[in-house]
Amino acid sequence: MLQKLMYWLFFITISFSQTTSNPQFSVVGDLVFDHYSNNSTLASSGIEIAVQGYVNPFARADVYLHKHNDDSPIELEEAVMTIERGLPIGLGLRVGKFRPDLGKINQSHAHLFPFIEAPSSMTKILGEEFWAATGAEINILLPLPWYSNFSFGYFDADIGSHDHEGHMEKKEYDKEDYDKEDHDDHKHDLEEKQENSISLRWSQFFELNDINHLEFGISGYSEHNDQIMGVDLKYKWRPSQYRSLTFQAEVLQQSLAKKEITNFKTEHKLTVGYAMANYQFNKSYNLGIIADYSLTDHEGKKLNPSIFFGFSPVEESTVFRIKVGQVENHETHKKQLKTIVQIIWSLGPHKPHRY
Amino acid sequence: MMRRLIIILTFLSFLFAKVKIVTSTTDLADIVKSIGGDLVTVNSIAKGNQDPHYVEILPSYMIKVRKADIYFMVGMELDLWAQQIIDGSRNHKVLIVDCSAQINRMEVPTELVDASMGDIHRFGNPHYWLDPENGKLIARNIAEKLVLIDPKNSTIYNSNLSTFEESINSSMKIWSKKFEKLKGKQLIFYHNSWPYFSKRFGLITVDFLEPKPGITPSPAKLKEVIDMIKSQKINVIASESYFSDRAPNFLNSKTGIKTIKLAQSVDAIEGTNNYIQLFETNLSILAKAFNINYD
Repeated sequence: MLQKLMYWLFFITISFSQTTSNPQFSVVGDLVFDHYSNNSTLASSGIEIAVQGYVNPFARADVYLHKHNDDSPIELEEAVMTIERGLPIGLGLRVGKFRPDLGKINQSHAHLFPFIEAPSSMTKILGEEFWAATGAEINILLPLPWYSNFSFGYFDADIGSHDHEGHMEKKEYDKEDYDKEDHDDHKHDLEEKQENSISLRWSQFFELNDINHLEFGISGYSEHNDQIMGVDLKYKWRPSQYRSLTFQAEVLQQSLAKKEITNFKTEHKLTVGYAMANYQFNKSYNLGIIADYSLTDHEGKKLNPSIFFGFSPVEESTVFRIKVGQVENHETHKKQLKTIVQIIWSLGPHKPHRY
Repeated sequence: MMRRLIIILTFLSFLFAKVKIVTSTTDLADIVKSIGGDLVTVNSIAKGNQDPHYVEILPSYMIKVRKADIYFMVGMELDLWAQQIIDGSRNHKVLIVDCSAQINRMEVPTELVDASMGDIHRFGNPHYWLDPENGKLIARNIAEKLVLIDPKNSTIYNSNLSTFEESINSSMKIWSKKFEKLKGKQLIFYHNSWPYFSKRFGLITVDFLEPKPGITPSPAKLKEVIDMIKSQKINVIASESYFSDRAPNFLNSKTGIKTIKLAQSVDAIEGTNNYIQLFETNLSILAKAFNINYD
């Protein structure tokens, strides 16, 4: 119902919008060389197509489509209308399908990460391609002397219900847990309809002085059986335009209630996070380190560090990235090195930019 | 009694409220200060020593714009980032003014522009504030908008505009005599920021260090420039304050060419605290580099 309402609103707004100006089109593509466990692959993760523009003087629309480099159909990543001007008391509104304001990293597209791939721990909660859902999110810029933004979203899908083909499905790790216990009678619990969910975030930004900036946020998420709390922090030291040191860390904790064979509910806790430091030497080069952390009931504690390097020869439209990191082999449970080399390019204004 | 006092205080605060202004660059901010005087408060988003093409959008900038009455932007796609800041501020009452509106634009492409040409601006070269005559056009535009927002002080704004124009006119007379010998001097610039400046003061741009606008100098380009410096006996390379010294220093080591930094904006380097000083300092640096006695 909510989904229908959102698409209807989107259609109405676009129908009454100007038609004389074309929106901006962008395409982001890549080529990835991946070496892991004595296997090397060369592949592309596909292309992202972005269509962006103003719908009217108060609202803009952003549509992101992703075509994976396989037989899957084109996926609608996001189709969102954002109203930031015209609403009273500093309110903003997003409606449509989009990445909710939950934590720091969830709203970022993968090509914006200096560390190439999303931290694998974060994908355990947010999903391989992070959480995008259909709904509405209202936010308010609080009347304080510094930037303080509070957002509240209501969505028609829970956080584990999105895979890369856009199908609604529970997350794999949930399935594995249940399959291990072989409770076939209860598998239908996993196939139940997706739950409506809410998300909250309160973020603060402080310009400490001309070169030091501090940002932190707290986030929350809730649906019937699933609660998530999160904190994030970002500090940036920027003594000159093309030289900076960024430290960013984020932790999410999920409490997932599951029905057991006895019909009692048990709570499973999952804590994930990452800490990243990235130093940009000049206009073209950056070097950083990221530590990826997870703590689960059945897998215990995991900590995997990686180093990454980026080179941007021609402004922000072409970027070379390398990442060498430790990952755990799912079959042998041994730690191994994984190397990824990525060339990413963009056409149009939606770029893998770093400035 | 208390209620009356509150009403009077509220009335007075409206009566003496300053016009809140945000600008994209320090040049526009300084011209706003000249026209608005004590009747305005002004904040610039980009700092003087920053490359105005790339400004990282900080949430704190949105707070600056949240209560602004007017936002003055450079336009011509130089400060494309400004729109995102304005949107994020949730200020739907702010008057957005493109200061390039009345400018006689240079280097407007006559063919289809694409990224193979580098960072070419579709509407022409946007560094128009580097001609003092364009400063007068910017000032007129600013005065007009201040009168629109704050008509009761129109006399002051118009009077300040006349004073500003007069100071540009008198400075231009001094500069054209003092730096007359700069006319016809050849030099290499790092980036194509200076066509308006060069045209006004008679400088000749031989080449740029960037092979294409926005593209970092390549070894092939540097070799080409070395050959040109030697064959055409070029004496000076000028770059904006925010560029790395690496390429100019390399050329200096290979050819002995003088390298100088010019201020692309107010507050970019020492001695450029206002719009008039921006030209005075740049012209003095150039004169010194060309061994011209200008006192």
